[in-house]
Order: sequence, then structure tokens, then C-alpha cells
Amino acid sequence: MSQIKIVTDSTAFIDKETLEKYGIEVVPLYVNFTDEMVVDGTIDNATFFEKIRKSQEIPFTSQPSPGDFVKVFERIVQEGNEIISIHISSGISGTVESANTAAKMVDEARISVFDSYSTSGGLAMLVIAAAQAVEEGKTREEIVAILNRLKSTLRVIFIPETLEYLKKGGRIGGAQALLGTLLQIKPVLCLQEGKIEPLDKVRTMKKALERIVNELPTTAEGLQVSVINAESQENLQKLVELIQERFPGIAINNYEISSVIATHTGPVVGLAFMQNV
Amino acid sequence: MTLNKKETVFLRGSDLRRMILEACNYFDIYKESINELNVFPVPDGDTGTNMSLTMNATAKELQKIESDSIGEVARIMAQSALMGARGNSGVILSQLFRGIARGLSGKDEVQLSEVGKAFQYGIVYAYNAVSKPVEGTILTVAREIARGSRQAVQTSLTFIDLLRIAIESGRNALERTPELLPVLKEAGVVDAGGLGLVVFLEGCLQSMLKCAAEEQGTIFTEDKVPTVLEIPDPAGKKAAIGTVMEKFNPDYPYCTELLMKGSGISSQKIRQCLDEWGDSLLVAGEGELVKVHIHTAHPGNVLEICLLQGSIHDIKIENMIDQYKETHWSRPSPDKEKTTTGKAQDEKNPQIKFSGGAAGVSRPSIGIVAVSSGEGLYSVFASLGVDKIVSGGQSMNPSVKEIIDAIMDIPAEKVIVLPNNSNIRLSAQQASELVEKEVMVVDTRSIPQGLAALLALDRAKTLNENFTEMCKRARQVKTGEVTYATRDALVNNVPVKKGHIIGICDDRLIVSGKTVNSTTLDLIRAILTGEEEVLTLFYGQDINDQQARELADLLGKEFPEIEVEIQYGGQPLYYYLIFIE
Repeated sequence: MSQIKIVTDSTAFIDKETLEKYGIEVVPLYVNFTDEMVVDGTIDNATFFEKIRKSQEIPFTSQPSPGDFVKVFERIVQEGNEIISIHISSGISGTVESANTAAKMVDEARISVFDSYSTSGGLAMLVIAAAQAVEEGKTREEIVAILNRLKSTLRVIFIPETLEYLKKGGRIGGAQALLGTLLQIKPVLCLQEGKIEPLDKVRTMKKALERIVNELPTTAEGLQVSVINAESQENLQKLVELIQERFPGIAINNYEISSVIATHTGPVVGLAFMQNV
Repeated sequence: MTLNKKETVFLRGSDLRRMILEACNYFDIYKESINELNVFPVPDGDTGTNMSLTMNATAKELQKIESDSIGEVARIMAQSALMGARGNSGVILSQLFRGIARGLSGKDEVQLSEVGKAFQYGIVYAYNAVSKPVEGTILTVAREIARGSRQAVQTSLTFIDLLRIAIESGRNALERTPELLPVLKEAGVVDAGGLGLVVFLEGCLQSMLKCAAEEQGTIFTEDKVPTVLEIPDPAGKKAAIGTVMEKFNPDYPYCTELLMKGSGISSQKIRQCLDEWGDSLLVAGEGELVKVHIHTAHPGNVLEICLLQGSIHDIKIENMIDQYKETHWSRPSPDKEKTTTGKAQDEKNPQIKFSGGAAGVSRPSIGIVAVSSGEGLYSVFASLGVDKIVSGGQSMNPSVKEIIDAIMDIPAEKVIVLPNNSNIRLSAQQASELVEKEVMVVDTRSIPQGLAALLALDRAKTLNENFTEMCKRARQVKTGEVTYATRDALVNNVPVKKGHIIGICDDRLIVSGKTVNSTTLDLIRAILTGEEEVLTLFYGQDINDQQARELADLLGKEFPEIEVEIQYGGQPLYYYLIFIE
């Protein structure tokens, strides 16, 4: 009997154990330094930022090629299975496009490519929800419907320590308006319609953290929360405390962001949440 | 003015115009003295200048018109004051004019009673202009003037008598302002706006007296006008202002006041009899009730003379020498050169345009107007998305018209105005009500509050949402200001000497010292609570980059847990503006 396999990309940065538990396949993106190409998800952030500091350059990133997807898709389809391929927002990466191209080449009828409008912890939560739905025996159509419902409540909000990385990476969207601000500010950004938009600008990290926690819904019912960070342990700790203050006892998933995302945000702390109601 | 047989006096448009024009000139003589009454000894060209500018805007328009209809002249007067209003006192004055114009509307000439009524309208408008009316200010003085004139109208007097009584009521109210407003008492001054209003009425009286003298073919002498203030010494010597608000001659030290009751009392006769007994003579009323006021060396004789014509009541005799000693204190005149330099600079560039304030937004849904001074601050505001900056601040309050022009210059139909100074809020409010755009004024009282509010700007949200969030943000910051004292004073128990450096936090004087660095450090030490994370120093035009860096280093060492940022503000008068969050 045909099974449903979940495919995602390296920006979800789901831990190995979870990947194996649900049989989730990962197609990696790439980080390109002048003299070296790093496959996303293969090095940790400490090593990655050390590399950036040493090389004195901000690398560029690239999406998986359609060929990368074809390899994975073909293998799964040949095993007689269907695919739901869930990816980083089309607003900030061309990954979905590569996946779509590959799906057409392999077998469009058996592959659903899903644009998460998110990434990192947000993407991870959708992927795991999909994998759980597979375990519950839901059909591909049912699972896509579930994903669409969750996606509409999914939010990713983050505070980069500086806008420099986003500026160099060119994926700044509406946050463009924040550039050139003479005052030092902490930009609070979010993914909106899959693009990076400014949510607020405050002057201190403390206020910025309070600001993002304020975006959480009023009730914890069906709420899934993830914290995300790169090189920002101290702020992460404060953020976790603030969330627990708001919803005592709530389970909080913790995701590092992958090298590809870190290339664009630099050191960052943030929050992803969705509500299944 | 025309006198008919029944001795009913009518006031026409030309009379009002002449009165306002002359009052405006008269006021200009005293405006610096009024400026000196600012409670905070900070360098600013405040109340006197603002009221003078407001009146001059009115005078300019009145000179252009020919109408002799008092309703029409009053309408122009109100309209032009409204557009030219600067500062809170100017706005309140413009509201008084508006109310008066409403009372006179549609009339070509009016009698005394109608003038009294018009003044009542003026008071209502003035009170409505202020969201939280504070007693002990120009409002109290205006109200008492209105009350005094209402009573005077009932005893049917001439316009001249009416003005005399109005001035007298105003002065009495003015003397009480320190009792009503502790901050005035502490600073040893009366309310500057209230004083301005009284001085304005004196100017009106002077005009009336001149007019009357011309009609009677007599010569007008200025000393007939009871002046509250001494004419300032042109050499810049201190003007004698104290809470003894009356000009007094040591030869006539007893201020004597009483009410006479009887029948057929002739005020003219009393005036004649009392004239040789002193000066500052005021006899108001006729017939059954007459009020007498005189400065004399022989109060007993004055009482005896009055007794010949009626019974005497409410007798008040005061030795003004005692009052003078108790309450008089000298204040050096403000550093005029400094103030005028600042003004001249501001006027050269009343509005600075920024085309690319918000990057990539061609026709923003919400436009922002901010009031600020100093090129560095202009850039900071522009970088945060301000569409139009109106030049102004503590040293120079922009006119309502300048704010209107800025609002109209922005393509957006919805505009938020950040006055960034408590003295500019009313002008901004006024401006917002006079334009057809949807305008909201966020009550930002300092540059840092304005910047904090601006950080909350989100053009994707509605005007109301932005307004609410901006108000909230503005209140969350602390503002420090470092400037110099223009006179000696004791404020919040902090003794201040002229020329000393003073540190102010959110409109409260906190420290005073001899050097900018030590005072700034003291101020910051005093206002930090340990919760703060970021401190931004905007250094003014009198501080250079190196000095600012040195201070920032000192701060960094003393407060390692706080992020210290320095920015060129370029603002006049203030060495540092400190934005603490």
C-alpha cells in the first residue's frame, strides 16, 4: 500500500532523532564561501559564525537545484509512495520553485509541494504536524488541508542583533525602511505573507523580547510555541522565561537556525507559534 | 467712538482696529520683561515673544482692511490670531479673540454691554482651548477680567472705565496666581501669560485714552495708563518686576482702595478732589456705587474726602514699601544676544523639507510632521520616517500657520503631528483643527519623547492605532536636558545661579553645576533607576564631537551596564538632550 513521505529542506533544522522517528527526508540548501561550499545543516552555528569571522566575508546562499529534489522524489516515488514536500517561504528563497520543477519532472500527481510561508522553527512545526497526520493515517489531501489551516495561524517573529546581514543578503523586504535609521534600534521583524516585514522598532532588547511575547495569542489552547536563535543564548533564556511567565508550564520547542538562515539574519533570537483550533 | 446725546457710547470697527494696533505696539515694549517671568530659568524666548508674535500677526492683517464694521474687524482679528498663534499663551489669546469675535459677529457697532458679553464668549473659548485648565495661569486672569467687566457693565460706565476695571481685576487675579500655582510661588514670579494679557489691555486703554484726548482736543500723556511693568531700561538693566505688580512712587506709599455707596455720586467730582492727594488714581462707577483706588501719602484724608459724598465700604490700605521689600527680587535680563541669534537662525529655515523620509513609500497612508531644531536632529527625525519638519522648539515656537503648511505639504490625507515641546502642543492642536486632513497630535513634550513615539510608527496600521501606540511609547522614555540658567532662582529646592549649567529631567530641574560634564553626569546619576538599557546623548551646537565622546567614555565607565550612544543633534541652547530607555 502506498505511503505518504514528508520531505522538507535544511532550513527547518529538525534534529536527527525526530527526522528518523517520522522518516522525514531533508533536501539541503547551500552556503557558498569564496573558497568553500557548506551544505546547510552540516555544521553548527558556533562553527559557522567562527568561519564567517575568520573569512571576513558574508557568504551567499543558494537553494537546492531541481536535480537535488529529483533524486529524492524519484527514489520515494519509485518505492511506490506519495510525497508532501514542505519548504521555506517562496518570499525569501527559490526552494519551492526547485521543488515544483522537480515534482513536474518526476510525477506531479503523486507530489504535493507546500509553500510554508515560513522557515526555521515555523517550518519545523508544520513538518512535524504533517508527519503526525501521516501516522494518523490521513490522506495527502487531508494533510494539505491541515497544513493550510495551521499555516494561517503560523507566525514567525524575530529580532536580529543588527540589520547588516539582512541588508547584505538583500532579503530585507519592507524592513528596508529601517535601514539608514541613525538611532541604534532593535528591529522586530516578522514573516508576513512569506516575506520579511518590520513589526516594530524598539530601543532595547528587553522591550523587543516583551514585544514579541505580546504577539502570542491570549489562550494556550492548541498553541505550539518554538523559540529560535543563533548565537543568542542569553536572550533566548530571557525569551523562554517571558513565555513561561505568560503560559506557565507550556512546552517550548527549541530550534537553532540553520547556517543558511543565519547567513541572512546574523545573530538572532525569535519566536514561532501556531494554534490548532 | 461716537457720543450721542444720551451719552451712549458706540464702538465701531475702526475703533477696535486702532485699539488692537496700538495695544500691539504697546505690548512690544514689555515683551522682554514678560519673557523674564518664565518659571524655569532656561533660555527661551517664551511667553512675551509668543504673545507679541500672535498680536503682530493680527496687526498685520488688520492694517490691510478698511471695514468699519466691528463684527468684521473682530472676525479678521480672530482669524489672523488663529493663524499666527504661537505658544500656549498665543493660542489662548487667539481663542479669546475668537470668542470675542463670535460675540461681536454681525454687528457694525456695539455698546458697552455687548462688549462685556463678547468678553464672556472669549473666556468660554479660551477655557475650551485647554484640555485641563490650570488655575493660576492666563486663564484665571482672563476669567477675572471677564468677571470684573461684567460687573462694570452693569453700573454703566464708559469704555475707558470698563478697561480700567478690567485691568484692575486682571491685576488682582495676577497677584493671586502665585497662591494658586506653587511653581510660580517658588520661582517668585506671577504668571507670564496672565501678565501679558493685562499688559495687552493696558495697551488698549492707552489707545482709548489717546483717542479720547484727541476728540476733546487735549494732550494725551502716557502716565495716565496704569502700567503693571516698568518700561525696561534700554541699557538692559534689570526691569523692576516683583509681585508688587503696580508701579509705585515712594512718595505715595499707601495703596488705598474703597467702595463708595450713596446716591448721585459723581465720579468726576471725586476724581477732581482726590487728584492732588496722590497718583494711580482710579475712580470707577457712577451714581450709587463707585470704586476708588489711589496711591497716597495720606490715606486718612482720602477717606475723609470720600465720606463727604457717601458711605465707605471694603476699605483696604496697604503700605507698598513693605510689600516691595517682602516680595521684590531682582532678576537679570535674559541673555538677549543668545535668544535673538537662535531666532534668526531658525527663521532663515523655518521648514526643512525631506523628500525621502520613508524609503520607498511614494504616497504614505500616514504622514508625519515633527517640530525640532538642530540639523543633526532633523536628520535623525528624517531617518525615522518624518515627512516634514517644522523648525522650532524651546527657543522658538512655530506658528499655527507653519504647522498647517507642513501638514498640507505632505501628500498623505492622514497626518500625525509631534510637537516635541509642551509649549507647542496647543499650536499643533489648533493647526490640526484648521485643516481638512485627518490630523492627530501626539502629546510629545521633548525630542526624546518624539523619537520614541516615532519608533512606534507603522504606516500599515490605522491613524488611531498609531496614535495610541505612539502616545504610549512617548510616555515610556526619560528625557534629560542640559542647558544654562538665565537668571538666579530656586527651583525644586535646587539653588540656581545665572550662567550655571542646569540639568532637567522631564520638566523638573534636578541639578545645577558649574561645568557641562559634571552637571550632565550628576543629572544622569540622579535619574537612572537601574532599569535603563540605552542612553543616547544628542549634543548641541555648542559641543563638539570630541567633548561628546569624552563624556560618553565617562558614562561608559560609570555605567557599564548601559549602552551609551552619541549623536550630533546640533540643537541651540541645550548642550545635551538625553534620551534614556
